[in-house]
Amino acid sequence: MKIAVCIKQVPDSTQVKVDPKTGTLIRAGVPSILNPYDHFALEAALALKEKNGGEVIVVSMGPSQAKSVIRLAQALGADTGILLCDRVFAGSDTWATAYALSRALRKIGKLDLIICGQMAIDGDTAQTGPAVAQMLHLPQITFCEKIDVRNRTLRAKKHIDDGFEVLEATLPVLCTMTMPHDYKPKYPSFPAVARSEAKPFELWTAQDVGAEEQYCGLNGSPTRVDRVYAPPQRKPGAVINGSAAELADRLVEILKKECFVK
Amino acid sequence: MIEISQSCIGCSKCVKACPFGAMHMEGKKAAADEKCTLCGACVQACPVQCISISRKDEVADLSAFKGVWVYIETSETASGEKFVKGVGHELLSAGRGLADTLGEELCAVLLGSGVEGLSGELASYGADKVYLADDAALNDYNTDLYATVLVAMISKYKPSVVLYPSTYVGRDIAPRIASELYVGLTADCTGLAIKEGNLLQTRPAFGGNIMADILSPKTRPQMATVRPNVLKKNAPDSSRTAQVVRETFSLDAKSARVKLVERKRNENVCGGKIDEASIIVSGGRGMKDAAGFAVIQELADTLGGAVGASRAAVDMGLKPKANQVGQSGTTVCPKLYIAAGISGAVQHIVGMSASDVIVAINKDPNAPIFNVAKYALVGDAHQILPRVTEAVKKAKGC
Amino acid sequence: MPTTDAISRNLMLDSLREYAKRNIPYDFVREMDAKNEFPAALLKDMYDPEVLGINLLLIPKEYGGLGGSTVDIYRVCEALARIDLGVATSVFATFLGSDPLRVGGTEEQKRHWFKRMAEERLLVAYGATEADAGSDLVSLRTRAEQVVKDGELVGYRITGNKQWISNGGVADLYTVLALAPGGPSWFLVERTAEGFEANKHEDKHGIRLSNTAGLAYDDVFVPRNQLIGEVEGQGLLQAQAVFGYTRLMVAAFGLGGGWEALELAVKYSQQRIQAGGPLSQKQGYTHKLLVPHAIRLEAARSYIEEVAARLDGEEHGLQTEGAIAKYYATEEGNKTAEDAIQALGGYGYTRDFPVEKIKRDVKITCIYEGTNEIMEMTIYRGRWQEHLKTRGEYYPKLAAELDELHKTNPDVGADSAALGLRALAKVLEECRVQRLTRHQYVTFKLGELIANAEVAAAFCRTAAAKQIPDSFRLDRDCYKAMARVNARETAFDVAGKGVKLVLGNGNGDAAAFSAAVELVRIEDKMRGLVDDMDIVSRKMNETFRAK
Repeated sequence: MKIAVCIKQVPDSTQVKVDPKTGTLIRAGVPSILNPYDHFALEAALALKEKNGGEVIVVSMGPSQAKSVIRLAQALGADTGILLCDRVFAGSDTWATAYALSRALRKIGKLDLIICGQMAIDGDTAQTGPAVAQMLHLPQITFCEKIDVRNRTLRAKKHIDDGFEVLEATLPVLCTMTMPHDYKPKYPSFPAVARSEAKPFELWTAQDVGAEEQYCGLNGSPTRVDRVYAPPQRKPGAVINGSAAELADRLVEILKKECFVK
Repeated sequence: MIEISQSCIGCSKCVKACPFGAMHMEGKKAAADEKCTLCGACVQACPVQCISISRKDEVADLSAFKGVWVYIETSETASGEKFVKGVGHELLSAGRGLADTLGEELCAVLLGSGVEGLSGELASYGADKVYLADDAALNDYNTDLYATVLVAMISKYKPSVVLYPSTYVGRDIAPRIASELYVGLTADCTGLAIKEGNLLQTRPAFGGNIMADILSPKTRPQMATVRPNVLKKNAPDSSRTAQVVRETFSLDAKSARVKLVERKRNENVCGGKIDEASIIVSGGRGMKDAAGFAVIQELADTLGGAVGASRAAVDMGLKPKANQVGQSGTTVCPKLYIAAGISGAVQHIVGMSASDVIVAINKDPNAPIFNVAKYALVGDAHQILPRVTEAVKKAKGC
Repeated sequence: MPTTDAISRNLMLDSLREYAKRNIPYDFVREMDAKNEFPAALLKDMYDPEVLGINLLLIPKEYGGLGGSTVDIYRVCEALARIDLGVATSVFATFLGSDPLRVGGTEEQKRHWFKRMAEERLLVAYGATEADAGSDLVSLRTRAEQVVKDGELVGYRITGNKQWISNGGVADLYTVLALAPGGPSWFLVERTAEGFEANKHEDKHGIRLSNTAGLAYDDVFVPRNQLIGEVEGQGLLQAQAVFGYTRLMVAAFGLGGGWEALELAVKYSQQRIQAGGPLSQKQGYTHKLLVPHAIRLEAARSYIEEVAARLDGEEHGLQTEGAIAKYYATEEGNKTAEDAIQALGGYGYTRDFPVEKIKRDVKITCIYEGTNEIMEMTIYRGRWQEHLKTRGEYYPKLAAELDELHKTNPDVGADSAALGLRALAKVLEECRVQRLTRHQYVTFKLGELIANAEVAAAFCRTAAAKQIPDSFRLDRDCYKAMARVNARETAFDVAGKGVKLVLGNGNGDAAAFSAAVELVRIEDKMRGLVDDMDIVSRKMNETFRAK
């Protein structure tokens, strides 16, 4: 099986803070990590490789420091790593990102399966995976919890709003993976890290994948950010102190006042 | 425009796949006629990828795009009765405001099988028109067929805005269509407005730490998805009517490449489904254990509300994920939200800050939840809530 | 030592930190500290190549290891120290225990024993110290008598006692220093050897997760091929060969322990509200208990990284440089942890908060791997030679380089650092002229001044480099502010203490000597000191935020 996994290096959004005065992000000291959904997607790909044989190729679009997450993926078991890195990609929204990724995936060619994390924890859009699927004219199954491949059929268990579905499609397919809420990403042992140094790594530019500049980066993006700001702070009510009995009485008063209790 | 290249092998799969009968064979090569809606079904079906669609000319004149569209998602009850998901009412309500500002029509887009009867409901929430695609092949949501139909309709009628619910279906179909059409799509908007004729889309990013205003100035339609319980819905006006426009096409159900094998819908979670509850009593890490959540459940039952949980409580196994309120759980906007033993991490607040009245109970006077609470009680919920439950029971005469 | 690439290093550190987060929670460490218990299963797990394989870093590649560079190992040591210094010490002891083999073993020995260490996840111990031979190893008494059979040397019998050996009660393999007829020699002895016994695990002030025990050898037989190098008398040379390297590891312990305590104190200060505001905004508190330590810890780091890079390059030895790093970083780590208790006030004094344990732990770094007094002496001896050899031009030359640096990078304090080095040169020369180094007190004090001056210089150099270390978690502006403060403080320290030393132990004219060390010029550069400290305080609060 030839599987590609799209991965992204993101700031750990659980640690990002916003400067309330300027509305900009404080990134100082915030570590960059492999997007946890992509981490889960990668583990799914590696499990399939172990069961069905084949190779796992990881692709990322990012600045040169994104090489770290590609190497991490290789330390976890991925074979080839490809970093799509070009100044022309700067400022890409999800469409332009999907365009670049789909060009790279096309260049790799003959893929049986493409797996993406459902979304990146910085953009939170969950749009890139389906867009890539559309550009490659592949069937898509989004928000998968589990995927399995037997012969040329992929079976996926996916979330729906009030339950789950089991779906099937013939390869090639693109899947996006959701993540169990108690997911603990695997980390590589020291020898596994050392072994990853020898694995094939390639840096591809826009030209290498035949991405036309008009469809790339800021200019190629149909959406643009008008402005960014800190979330509005609600004006909080005054803090009420007291003994448990006093506070309970107060709360009952509040419930009556707000008409939740007669 | 649509182009079939020299590499066409004459397999005629595209002819079968086209819902509008616009493809035919000219000798050994496929060709498209004026019935073509640029829906892309043929592109998907072609085994050698010799068909390409370019839309540059289509979007040259932005002013030709008019109409605010709302994609209506339906579901069915256990007995098979079709209904409109509540988020549709919210989107129509918001869409009505946008349409009025733009001076354009509000149109509901309804795909399914046997769903025509829902049109009246859509009119009552403000729709001027209902574009209906009713076909047995559309009974269950399916990416390929739904995308084909929607792309055809959008290409034909040229709306300026299309709104989708940010549900599993909406988040599956919207990016697929946006990619096909090369238009801007903004996910999980918490606010929609018109700025200088463009749709201004507001959304959180970085796990809710920052807000962004997004525009799609160069492309039409402008697309956005919105989560349930984010926008307010208007009171329905049953005197309103809408014109129903029925689309015709013939779909090859086999061209749906993903097959549904099994579907299981959850029973009502204990205490009622939180995304539609008007009162939620929610517990966090501070409730500590099952006994703590029993206290929460009692109060919720007494008030006639549902039980919510923070991510920490779910991780501790105190409540299933279905009860989780927050960024990675459910967004709620009940009339009353009582947060007990919840510190108020950004990821949680994003999921409940739209609640009308927020009461927070926490032992820590610096808990961030107090920043969004209308009533901030510094104390031990374990001690306070049972007393409240007692008093409310008495008041209700139980 | 070969260099590993920086990405690999960071991935390994991430794995180590993630492993610790999941498997070495604070409650576990606390419990083991209270029980004085060595976490045997944990160490074996960390040595499992499918889990972490941390021991493989110090086994050369050709024998099945990963052959980590000095930089890799210093970073890992720092990370381990932040998790628990007892665990770190156990890992360090395994590293240390295998050093004589690495520098002195025959090819056959290396192949055999490193292979076993890698495959069997062996814990190793370094058996050198004795009751009467600590700093003074030459007085060791454990002896190794030759065993001759049919005129052939077949092995040795070792008899003697070792004291305070890390991993002493739990190691699988011991490298034991014993006096053979040809002189002190290292022997490889397995725990199963007959006649060997480990004593009980010591009840220590700190690093209680590290097993520390005495060793008793009663006529223990080792075959001749377990004499490292199979040549007697090489023991002390083999031990000294790696000092530059092992001292850096302990320096990294001081750095890690210090930063762990400091970060806790910074976060606490943001949450502790007194007199209307958090402690993090009160200069009397931050500029005494937090900022100076952040500065000196990063100064230590800059020096450690310079020496590590040199050892990974073509250079060997660097024992004096290792001593400077060890001395400076451990003194600083210890003081930082002490002030962290103070910073947390009453809470810091209770066992519920980590800082009192860190303080107990980090104290050992001033004692083992050479006491800091021995370090002062070593530093003095090494640099005194340089002073004499160059006829007093050693430090003026370094000062001139810093003056050059100041021209292109006027914002890193290089001018003050240069003044400090020139003052030091004057002090050394005056000590030579007045023969003040006949007083041992003077020599040890000079060791202290030398260390401070050289570290300050390294800090300026690093602040001016194209890239600041990726191990530094604050930003470039903060780094430069730190270098500036450190340079000014150190120059003042060196000049002032130098004057005191010369006049206190010899003769001289105070005014003249003060002028010679340019004390006034040094004082003049103090302008802006508190503003720079404010920068550091602000950046620390931005970056190390309490939840």
